[in-house]
Amino acid sequence: MTATLTRFLKGAVRPPENDSAFLLDVHRRAVPGRDRMRRYDDSDEVDLVIVGCGAGGGVLAQRLARRGWRIVVIERGPFWDPDEDWVSDEAGSHGLYWTDNRIIGGEDPVELGKNNSGWGVGGSMVHFAGYTPRFHPSDFEVHARDGVGADWPISYWDLKPHFERVERELPVAGEFWPWGDPHGYPHGPHPLGGGAELAAKGAMKCGITMKVGPVAIVNGTFGNRPHCIYRGFCLEGCKVNAKASPLVTHVPDALEHGVEIRADSMASRVETDGSGRCTGVAYIHDGAERLQRAAAVAVAGYSIETPRLLLSSATPDHPHGLGNDEDQVGRYVMVQGAPQVAARFPELARMYKAPPPEISSEDFYETDERRGFVRGFSIQTVAPLPIEWAQHALADGHWGEAMREYGRDYNHWSTLGVLCELLPHADNRVTLADETDRFGLSVARLDYSQSGNDRANIAFAKDKLHEVWEEAGAEETLTIDRYAHLVGGCRMGFSAEDSVVDSDHRVWGVPNLFIADGSVMPTQSAANPALAIMALASRLADRMERIGAGAETRSPVGTSSLS
Amino acid sequence: MTPPTTPQGRGRYPGYDVLDQVDHWDEATRRVVLARLDPPPIRFFDEDEARTLAAFCDTVMAQDSEPRIDVLAFVDEKLHEGRLDGFRYHDLPDDRDVWRIVARGLDEAARARDFSTFADALPAERRAICGDFAAGKLEGGAWEELNVSRAWEVVMRAVVQGFYSHPWAWNEMGFGGPAYPRGYAALGAGHKEHWEGDEAS
Ligand SMILES: Cc1cc2nc3c(=O)[nH]c(=O)nc-3n(C[C@H](O)[C@H](O)[C@H](O)COP(=O)(O)OP(=O)(O)OC[C@H]3O[C@@H](n4cnc5c(N)ncnc54)[C@H](O)[C@@H]3O)c2cc1C
Ligand code: SF4
Repeated sequence: MTATLTRFLKGAVRPPENDSAFLLDVHRRAVPGRDRMRRYDDSDEVDLVIVGCGAGGGVLAQRLARRGWRIVVIERGPFWDPDEDWVSDEAGSHGLYWTDNRIIGGEDPVELGKNNSGWGVGGSMVHFAGYTPRFHPSDFEVHARDGVGADWPISYWDLKPHFERVERELPVAGEFWPWGDPHGYPHGPHPLGGGAELAAKGAMKCGITMKVGPVAIVNGTFGNRPHCIYRGFCLEGCKVNAKASPLVTHVPDALEHGVEIRADSMASRVETDGSGRCTGVAYIHDGAERLQRAAAVAVAGYSIETPRLLLSSATPDHPHGLGNDEDQVGRYVMVQGAPQVAARFPELARMYKAPPPEISSEDFYETDERRGFVRGFSIQTVAPLPIEWAQHALADGHWGEAMREYGRDYNHWSTLGVLCELLPHADNRVTLADETDRFGLSVARLDYSQSGNDRANIAFAKDKLHEVWEEAGAEETLTIDRYAHLVGGCRMGFSAEDSVVDSDHRVWGVPNLFIADGSVMPTQSAANPALAIMALASRLADRMERIGAGAETRSPVGTSSLS
Repeated sequence: MTPPTTPQGRGRYPGYDVLDQVDHWDEATRRVVLARLDPPPIRFFDEDEARTLAAFCDTVMAQDSEPRIDVLAFVDEKLHEGRLDGFRYHDLPDDRDVWRIVARGLDEAARARDFSTFADALPAERRAICGDFAAGKLEGGAWEELNVSRAWEVVMRAVVQGFYSHPWAWNEMGFGGPAYPRGYAALGAGHKEHWEGDEAS
């Protein structure tokens, strides 16, 4: 559809083959149809078990259910009822995060929990900020262009139709996007809050182009999903159903097409047989271990739990875990360097209003040799609420009376962040620790250290933010170093020696086991990952349909193109 | 109408009380926020630990007079219920143990300055000890059991949650608070909703 026509039609455009927005209830936020949800027996051999109902798993379930696959999704967290379970409050949202224990190490450890890990039906997108930029074509060939990282076995053009399709389903609102492969969005840009206005002013003076969006937040109405009310609590879960997450964008349609979502269920291992194929998933529900049999399995547990599950599924035939004969599982986990710089202005910005994701720039996205490092970063507005704001003051070394003063001054501040593309390193990895969790399963340990290129990128990006604020007339700044997003850990590649899955997301050596989340990414880009994760899952559905295991034939997956 | 409460009466938005808006909040949020005005008794820490750590929380949040936000009550409830944050540094014990070790360490640091416990130390001495803690400069005894700078991050993460999740802190800073289902209409620098407070000039 052309950009003009899409703009004209605005929220009226109904995405093809996904009725989720129309299946929701106007007056209640809970997903209708749960009471009518199809149920399978553990002993039924379903066509597919998916582990994890987040960005990747949710989309894959919806797509294949539409094509008649019989699917069970095993999800560790709750089946949310936003009216009851979510609150308009920071500390009260603790229950939204994956808070089972994990160990962090390395030279530059990555804090987990609320910083990057969700759970429950909808996954981490339930509390994601809402930015949904596309990756650039260059992101798929970083090694060929810059001699670092790895090239993907697929290209931007393989994903492009899926980017477009998912953008219509979320739907994404924003200005025409001039970067990467230029494109428009189905919904127009949202109005700006005070914080973003100030940032836009500074960027303009620095000659930096900033555009409004792209955010997965309804602008107008979309089916039975209402307009955003600018309450600013996107990171606490949207009680309005205005912001996208699989819970509202894909789960309703998946249920309608016969998917069973088994919430409060922890997958403990992927079962394999002597022939090297997987046969189902063992999981713990209500304290008891059960086994769901399936013709194929797709793991979509996010970059820590996906490798953990593969490592935990070791057998005598797979002594190091599934897909791990070449010691690749859990390696090349990536996070983006995401420092933020806040700036003080004489006027009251009240940055808590409007969604935190407002405007962004991809002017610095690709390599520019003059900067002295390869790859780059994007710039985006963010908007810490009071507790997060105190963390900013703390990170800059303030406590006691000074912290209180920054607190009282909160309304004068506005905040910008960057997302720096940090490069994949083999030693940044997930392993199993000696400790066990409440289920008796080994917990994951994530080690993370930055390289010289990573540090140079982060330092340059921080300087840039300071420059923007200086031009905007800021009176003072506060800086916090942090990370955002997790991808990689089971990357796709060209052979079992360099990766965990092939270009069809199929685990090397286990032909009916797939990985359907962000852990397949060989490099991470300087864009937020959720849209790409959904697009990958959408493409994977096409590939899996070709490979086999359709509902009627129930032919074993992968036989057609197995080596 | 009772005047709005701010911790130590040091707000910047006179007359603004976020609690005047409770009727506009959704029920789930109202329950969670109002419960903070009436926290449960201390259950996780023992009496000595609680005395030391309450003094610590007040010192690092500069709460030197009434009315005070009971930050320790928030921390105690969080640890009692095992609501941990989902990660642990490889060189730190469990957060619950970190808090207990910190309590011991603070008392040891106070004794080195000739006070029987941290809570009995003079305010300036308490601030000096906290300054050393923030700078990772405390050593010996309990402090050898953990990475001091990281322990500071762990405890402060919970302390600021306790303080800035309290409606009195929102009054102090002029934060609009929960905004569902009403939302915000007055966006843009210099704009405010009719019910939001004006900053004292
Ligand atoms: C605060 C925050 C802000 C963010 N902002 C943005 C943003 O603005 N834009 C953006 O693009 N991205 C953002 N993200 C990141 C984005 O949400 C994630 O990248 C994305 O959701 C990851 O998708 P996934 O499918 O890999 O995993 P998830 O969406 O996390 O889904 C994984 C699911 O698997 C379940 N699971 C895991 N292991 C098991 C098991 N063993 N058994 C059963 N279930 C299991 C989990 O409970 C979870 O529900 C943000 C994240 C956070 C935390
Ligand atoms: S600001 Fe809009 S999108 Fe964000 S939580 Fe509120 S209503 Fe939802």
